Amino acid sequence: MYIWRTGRGRLGGEIARLRRDMDDLVGALAGGGRTWLRSPWRETRLFPLLNVRETSDAFIVSSEIPGMKKEDLEVKIEGDTLSLRGERPPETIGDEASFHRRERAVGTFQRSLTLPGNVDRDRVNATYRHGVLTVRLFKETKSAPKEIKISAE
Amino acid sequence: MAEDTVEITQKDQVPAQAGEPTYEGAYFTPAVDIYETVNEIVLLADMPGVEADNLDVDLNDDELIIVGRVNAVDDEGAELLSEYRVGNYYRNFRISDVVDRRSISASLSDGVLKIVLPKAAKAVPRKIPISVG
Repeated sequence: MYIWRTGRGRLGGEIARLRRDMDDLVGALAGGGRTWLRSPWRETRLFPLLNVRETSDAFIVSSEIPGMKKEDLEVKIEGDTLSLRGERPPETIGDEASFHRRERAVGTFQRSLTLPGNVDRDRVNATYRHGVLTVRLFKETKSAPKEIKISAE
Repeated sequence: MAEDTVEITQKDQVPAQAGEPTYEGAYFTPAVDIYETVNEIVLLADMPGVEADNLDVDLNDDELIIVGRVNAVDDEGAELLSEYRVGNYYRNFRISDVVDRRSISASLSDGVLKIVLPKAAKAVPRKIPISVG
């Protein structure tokens, strides 16, 4: 799906995470069951979120992925599966600098989506504007329903 | 990776009591990074979908207010999957006296707002040269 290392979340999320980590720790100390000890530096999140719309001739997939360079975004279509992959490198701030707040996520992500119909792989276009990726996939014209006439002998 | 829970990168909606100006539509809190270098404090905010024309950065007394409006409304065709909502952004910050208010600058690229708040001369550490007498 998506592996996405995150920075510090907002306070509500941090408290929930802290509680979860404490529960894990208590569980591990009590020897009860198998607990997955989470690395504090790595978290999984579902990212990026996708919106999909369907028109008569195309599927439109859009996603908010701000602050990417075009070259760091990869859009691939295999059969009826669309996959998005990319990396948002951490901000380079120099040795002298320090973070006061870090909510914006950084890291690599990958998501794939199976479309409800076949698409024409030669007619896919992707645009990235103001941090929003929009992929327009035209439906395969071959798979459009066609009525077969029955001839009487 | 064996994870029992997967957190979803959600957009947090601005609470109604936050004292925001009333505009139409939903408002979300953008994710923000703030870092400090020797000479300045830099604020980065993720505001996907906002164009420079629809972005306001205001400084009233101590309060720095960021408002970004998203114009694009996707209503083409029918909705198949909706994981995120599109909306405007609002967030405010309190600026300390460390910042030189007259030279704050802001730029927007690929949905990321960058505000550079230079430190006032008195807040920048300075080494005092000692002359040999």
